[in-house]
Amino acid sequence: MQNTTRTDWGRRQPPIGGSNFELYAWFFMRVSGLFLVLLAAGHMFIMHVFNDTLNLDYEFVAARWDTPYWRTFDWLLLALSILHGTNGLRIVMHDNIANKLHRSLALYSLYFVSTAFFVLGTYVLVAFVRQS
Amino acid sequence: MAYQEIVSTGSVYKGRTSMWLYLFHRITGVALFGYLLLHIISTALILAGPEIYEGAEAIYKNFYFRLGEVGLMAAVLAHAINGLRIITVDLWKKGSDYQKSLNVVALLIFIGIFVPTTYRMITSYFDICIEKSSPGTTVVDCMVRPLPDWKS
Repeated sequence: MQNTTRTDWGRRQPPIGGSNFELYAWFFMRVSGLFLVLLAAGHMFIMHVFNDTLNLDYEFVAARWDTPYWRTFDWLLLALSILHGTNGLRIVMHDNIANKLHRSLALYSLYFVSTAFFVLGTYVLVAFVRQS
Repeated sequence: MAYQEIVSTGSVYKGRTSMWLYLFHRITGVALFGYLLLHIISTALILAGPEIYEGAEAIYKNFYFRLGEVGLMAAVLAHAINGLRIITVDLWKKGSDYQKSLNVVALLIFIGIFVPTTYRMITSYFDICIEKSSPGTTVVDCMVRPLPDWKS
């Protein structure tokens, strides 16, 4: 090996002349991360510091979801955390699973699970109606 | 050749704090994603109505889960603050010159938020537990019993 460059180590090299997907994915992690600092840390503080999860009951959630604003907040948190987490796990899998077949299986299971949970979460947020 | 050949002669990383933070960021990230999936399921139970939702929530209301919640808070704060550190190193021109100081700053911010938060989460647990439980309940009762003796 001559002229070892830093990129010789990279496992997520884009095809030469290929797309900028990895660049956009990198940038997305920074932007979504910034939003998630507000959304996820905000959610944690609302649930665990300003309120206490011991007081969490059906009425608490129903009252929150009476306003479209909290449903929007929760949906943004759901969407961004699933996208941010899925991309993070995609990178971890690329870096740590050397076998190509195992890697493909892991990645496709990840995409399937993430899509299913995104659909489930979105359905709950849209379909919830208070039972009185 | 679409991809360059991958040649490995050992670890790329030379150790030290920032490498451990890289590993730490991945571990907390994977753990938080796992928790996210559980959290979506437990919240989805709300569609099944108050009895089922609150029955499931009751399981989470013992003190062992409170310790788990403190760990969750630690993971969220650590991942968030370390993420902000990474953004700073990436996007600030002099970020890599000050990376050692940034590690210390990130740690101090983490401690500064995590310690009072933990204090609040633990004291609030016992305050509410003793207030809501039947008379004569002690702090030790609140700590060891698997399920609270009050309804919601």
